[in-house]
Amino acid sequence: MGFLGDIGSFIMTPLYYLVSVVLVGWHKVFGAVFGAESGISWVLSIIGLTLVIRAALIPLFVKQIKSSRNMQLLQPKVKELQKKYGHDRERLTQETMALYRETGTNPFSSCLPLIVQMPIFLALFRLLSKAAGGHGHGVLTDHDANLFAHAPIFGGTISSSFTKSSGEVSVQIVAICLVIAMTATTFLTQRQLMSKNMPADALSGPYAQQQKMLLYVLPLVFAVGGIAFPIGVLLYWTTSNLWTMGQQFYVIRNNPAPNTEAFRAKERRDAEKARRHGHTPEAGTPATETQDPSSETPKPAPGAAKRQQPKKQSRSQRRTAKPKPKPTTEQGETP
Amino acid sequence: MKYVLIGLLKAYRFAISPLYGQVCRYHPSCSAYALEAVTVHGSIKGSWLAVRRLGRCHPWARGGYDPVPPKRVPIDTSQQPLGHVNTTQGV
Repeated sequence: MGFLGDIGSFIMTPLYYLVSVVLVGWHKVFGAVFGAESGISWVLSIIGLTLVIRAALIPLFVKQIKSSRNMQLLQPKVKELQKKYGHDRERLTQETMALYRETGTNPFSSCLPLIVQMPIFLALFRLLSKAAGGHGHGVLTDHDANLFAHAPIFGGTISSSFTKSSGEVSVQIVAICLVIAMTATTFLTQRQLMSKNMPADALSGPYAQQQKMLLYVLPLVFAVGGIAFPIGVLLYWTTSNLWTMGQQFYVIRNNPAPNTEAFRAKERRDAEKARRHGHTPEAGTPATETQDPSSETPKPAPGAAKRQQPKKQSRSQRRTAKPKPKPTTEQGETP
Repeated sequence: MKYVLIGLLKAYRFAISPLYGQVCRYHPSCSAYALEAVTVHGSIKGSWLAVRRLGRCHPWARGGYDPVPPKRVPIDTSQQPLGHVNTTQGV
């Protein structure tokens, strides 16, 4: 395990520095306002750390939004694939993914944000537990570490957890509140995604049933596990969840997946907006309207441009479709 | 070592992965890829493949269908993993 330990410390050491630099930096700011030894300055520093890390990941988020913007145009093709491979889930996923690759459009955020955040979370966890033993790490000096770990918060300290509360009821209450907040934000984010931003057909079938069950089981697992986490880590986790929730709210509102509840809600809002600005309601739903003429009239005849109906029609179609205008001339042509 | 990694990956896929829904831009997803890679290629080469895949999974990548490469050494067919019997290379 020595070799693996080396790899671990190779990855973690820079992260200890990163986390401690941001944390100590925020503490300099908040400590100047609330006092270096006050609990509130450390609480705000942890929240500040979370915000800095999530803000640093915004470019990834923006790139993701951009690359999922054309999903709506891709929808007919996705439907076609569903019709073709609907019976074979594995093949359907393969083909859909291949389509995403071809078109350079992908609705998923990639694993990078997760992979980056996990070790940072771990680094904070370790920093806090080491600080509880009086040892600094990174730029956190032993003196600061002592302040950090013993920063008072509702009668306990930032490094205490529900299980390590040394009998303080108030600490247990704070820890439980944070565990509930953390679990609730996770749950709500996931449920919002499932109920608003997933097409109905993705929510049926055995796989979706399993997803739904996990939606309710996993928060319980986390709630049970959460009582072992120190208050400082729970603070980080909850703040980060709140950020995720906000981000997802933004996506669902402004960039919803096609064919979903959120998508229809956006269409309604757009139509409403267009009406208020005095446009015709058609202006609000451009997706279906604008696609039609381009696909149905590939080559309009030179004279057709000024006609009322530029659609390409056979003669028999024309006769049945609109018999009203000038019936005499049209019948005069045929004999 | 191989079974430790497989255990860890399965635990992740059971307990943590569902929390985030699908985020991976590839199919199979990074964790499924890692699990298969370690199962097929062993802990060292499998981990290396998994790390390279994770490196590819960022918002600037196009994503797509990206299966674990099959083992080069000719082996008996019973060793073959599930997904490799009749996959056409999608891209």
